[in-house]
Amino acid sequence: MTDLAAVEALLYQEASFLDRPDLDRWIALYTEDAYYWIPATEDQVDPINHVSHIYDDRVMMEIRRRNFVHPRAASKDSLTRCSHLIGNITLKEQRADGVLLIESTQHVVVWYRDEQRLYAFNALHELKPTGSSFQIKSKRVNLINPEAPQRSLVIYL
Amino acid sequence: MQPIPDRNFDALVKPTKLHRSLYTDPDIFDLEMSRIWGEAWIYIGHESQVPNSGDYFTTHINHNIPVVMIRDKDATVHVLHNRCGHKGAKVVDKQSGNVRGALRCAYHGWSYRFDGSLLKIPNEQGYEDTGFDASDPCYSMQPLAQVASYRGFVFATLSNTITDLVSWMGGAIACFDNLCDRAPEGEVEVAGGVLRYEHDCNWKFILENLNDTMHPMVVHESLVKAAEAYIATLPPEAAEQRREAEIIPPFGASYENFEDSGITGFDYGHHYDGGKTSIHANYTVDPDYHSAMVAAYGEARSREIYAFNTHNVLYYPSLTIKCAVQNIRVIRPISVDRFVVESWSFRLKGAPDSMLQRTLLYSRLINSAMGMVGPDDLEVYRRAQQGLQCPTSEWVEFHRQYGKDRTLTDRVEGGGTSDLDMRTQYRAWKAYMEQTPHRGTNND
Repeated sequence: MTDLAAVEALLYQEASFLDRPDLDRWIALYTEDAYYWIPATEDQVDPINHVSHIYDDRVMMEIRRRNFVHPRAASKDSLTRCSHLIGNITLKEQRADGVLLIESTQHVVVWYRDEQRLYAFNALHELKPTGSSFQIKSKRVNLINPEAPQRSLVIYL
Repeated sequence: MQPIPDRNFDALVKPTKLHRSLYTDPDIFDLEMSRIWGEAWIYIGHESQVPNSGDYFTTHINHNIPVVMIRDKDATVHVLHNRCGHKGAKVVDKQSGNVRGALRCAYHGWSYRFDGSLLKIPNEQGYEDTGFDASDPCYSMQPLAQVASYRGFVFATLSNTITDLVSWMGGAIACFDNLCDRAPEGEVEVAGGVLRYEHDCNWKFILENLNDTMHPMVVHESLVKAAEAYIATLPPEAAEQRREAEIIPPFGASYENFEDSGITGFDYGHHYDGGKTSIHANYTVDPDYHSAMVAAYGEARSREIYAFNTHNVLYYPSLTIKCAVQNIRVIRPISVDRFVVESWSFRLKGAPDSMLQRTLLYSRLINSAMGMVGPDDLEVYRRAQQGLQCPTSEWVEFHRQYGKDRTLTDRVEGGGTSDLDMRTQYRAWKAYMEQTPHRGTNND
């Protein structure tokens, strides 16, 4: 049985960087071949032949990270602050190469443009062991309402 | 704000300026819903969304009238008012799906054929000798006043009197042809799902922005700079493989480039920018796609199809399409300061999967509510919605290149950075609001 304490510590660390947000330190948690995915439908299997809200590899994460803090990005003039609450952390799978598939339930309150909003999702993290901790190989955010009309979101969840 | 007397639209729309109440007054919004959205041809969906008998897709034709598009047993696609002929309950509730046999109301079980005609009323003998006439269309699910389809794109209208769909589209129909001709098999189909994006501002802002070529280098500067700066750090061969490197930087194109693309306006408020060139003109042509095109059309005709390169085409007021990218955005107002945009993608039949994959990449980068272009556009619309509450000026101006538009037989052409698109839209807006839509022509 893998000790989930180190997994929990990593998820809490990621959440704390996103809450501030501090994307420079957040992106350092990810591997060079990582991707970040918010599918547009429930149980979406394919990020390439079906549209997604976000499907970024490391290159697009780097671009988005720079865009989020660019002084000429009008949509980012408003403060963005988040509060992640994480529960139900479960080990779904441990692969032969040591990579863990971790499922969690996350509720994120986002403060943006004079408005407080709630996002709820099931998160799937692929974690690659690095000695005492992990790096994130991928994160999949399964919103409970991916088909609904969405409001502008200018931060990673 | 002074009350605007009905029919005095001359007081609201001038040749180079609009009254701010067009964006803020709920009474004007209500009039728009009945006189523009209740009169114009409104895009409903694509036939490929309902391939088999009983397949349906539901939407609204304006801010609140529910309709259902359904495929009949003889393959006809109907668009019906989504209302039971009995107590008025909406009959089909889900967004899409398939019904077997008949449409059935969830309340008292009245059922309807796929053409909307009444099939059966449970315990029907209670209606005997009551004067009830089951053949009266008011007890059926009634079809829209007019329904028509062009190359698979289904439109409907609440109006009995508006001219037929093809005449209504006029010269702008060439863009539907170009979108479909880009398929080696000459047909497109909906693929890869839909994104829905809620906008908290007046619906007209997005239409005005489609051919507003004075905004991209300002509004989207941050993305272009962020992308260029990071892509420059990549090895050249890695950068060349990034399709994002073709899609993002043209948003920062110069005023001169946009001026060269030109704007063309048509009757009934339709217009596009580009034609000879656009921000989509320099995309790499996938060699497998090109081979399939040449096999279907020959080299010269294929080049001709690629060369007609528009950016955004507006079929006023409900639909905007990108021929070169193969996606469309469908507009649906909700209230004076709210609307929803749906982004749909299309597969070019006979083209390699890479073409659809580029379309979907474009949609998630540019059109997604979590994308890097849409949120900056919405931000500036929203600021306009707020700023227009100021009573210091009653007007929104659009003078750019006024007096320089060139009027041809069926269209008006002008510079790519002109406000020709605004003049085209609001000529139509005023004509619809005055209930004389046929006068919304460029020769008026």
